[in-house]
Amino acid sequence: MKNLSLIIVIGLILLLGGCGCSGYNNMISLDQNVKKVWGNVQSEYQRRSDLVPNLVNTVKGVADFEKSTLTEVTNARARATQMTIDPANLTPENIAKFQEAQGQLSGALSRLLVSMEKYPELKATENFSSLQTQLEGTENRIKTARNDYNAAVQEYNTSVKRFPNNLLAGMFGFSEKGYFSADAGAEKAPSVDFTK
Amino acid sequence: MMKKILLPLLLLMAASAFAQIEKVIPDAPSPVRFVVDLTGTLTADQQQTLEAKVKGYEDSTSTQIAVVLIPTTEGYEMVDYAVALGRKWGVGQKGKNNGIVFLIAKEDRKIFIAPGYGLEGAIPDITAKQIVDKIVLPNFKGNDFYGGIDQGIDALILAAKGEFVAPEDQNNGEGSEFSIFFFFIIFIIIFLARSKARHGGGHWTFGGSGSSWSSGGGGWSSSSSDSSSSFGGGSFGGGGAGGSW
Repeated sequence: MKNLSLIIVIGLILLLGGCGCSGYNNMISLDQNVKKVWGNVQSEYQRRSDLVPNLVNTVKGVADFEKSTLTEVTNARARATQMTIDPANLTPENIAKFQEAQGQLSGALSRLLVSMEKYPELKATENFSSLQTQLEGTENRIKTARNDYNAAVQEYNTSVKRFPNNLLAGMFGFSEKGYFSADAGAEKAPSVDFTK
Repeated sequence: MMKKILLPLLLLMAASAFAQIEKVIPDAPSPVRFVVDLTGTLTADQQQTLEAKVKGYEDSTSTQIAVVLIPTTEGYEMVDYAVALGRKWGVGQKGKNNGIVFLIAKEDRKIFIAPGYGLEGAIPDITAKQIVDKIVLPNFKGNDFYGGIDQGIDALILAAKGEFVAPEDQNNGEGSEFSIFFFFIIFIIIFLARSKARHGGGHWTFGGSGSSWSSGGGGWSSSSSDSSSSFGGGSFGGGGAGGSW
């Protein structure tokens, strides 16, 4: 009789331990996946930052171009490139900060593009239309990378909050990660339609 | 209060946007076909010719070009639709991700060319844009859908080999006319090389890349059913370019 209860206890411990192990492993792989797609998000934003000097140089050549718009873009770019997040630290607060810094660059870029509309000689250059295509492509990639990131985080967060993983998550430091919020206002991708 | 309800909702919408678009996208054709016309635009003959061309290209290089004609994206952006379709079908080879989605939304009057990750180097956005603007759209504007698709595929094949020359950093308008002329010459050369190869039974190598147009009863005229292809790639990151007519 004593033996039976011992077996049951051992069996329960093994079962729970097994659950815990697979839950832990699952969280690890979801966590890795989030870090991987986060890398894409950052490199796509970096790609956009890399385009900015080209854009600025193209515009600089035009006499009497509004200097304030250019300075704004350059400053916003500097702030956005400074803002990097350690993949181990993708907290909702950090993501919000990152998104805000990138959003300011988006806003500054779209204002720059609007003021470029006033210079027909600028719009006519081949260099300019190639920059336009590159910017469009970059915005598309950013959007795709952000969607992928949000999907990965959703999967991760769901797993972390579910029983019995939530017990383990607290123990091993799996904290909730932040989402990108849907585009609103300033965060909206700059419109690069020069055909008007 | 309103914000408290709205924000999680927006987050959820952003997160599930990709899952929703999946439902709109048609299932991959089985057995695998590369030319899928859901609009009834192309005749059976035209479909077969294009299919043979794309299939022959896959046989020699393993690169897959999926040409998909749909009536509408149902409100989704072309790039999102093309990426989601490429991923759902798995266009390209596993590990190489060398697939291209050539998407045509006829009622929306829009096209988009999306290369997979493995081809983003060979077909940068600028090249895709040039193919769209200078080769496909002019034909579509004249209601020649077959011609636009056919020449578009030729241009994509050239681009994937690194032989599509896109004019860059030109400060005058002459560049574009010159490039059209240049493409035209390339097309003629290819056309000649092809018909020569078909008649003479020879093996013509084109350019320095070492790929060749096979002769006689080779991949060119064969129908798509004699060797099976499969989709296995599907890694698309939003690259490419589009336009509307």
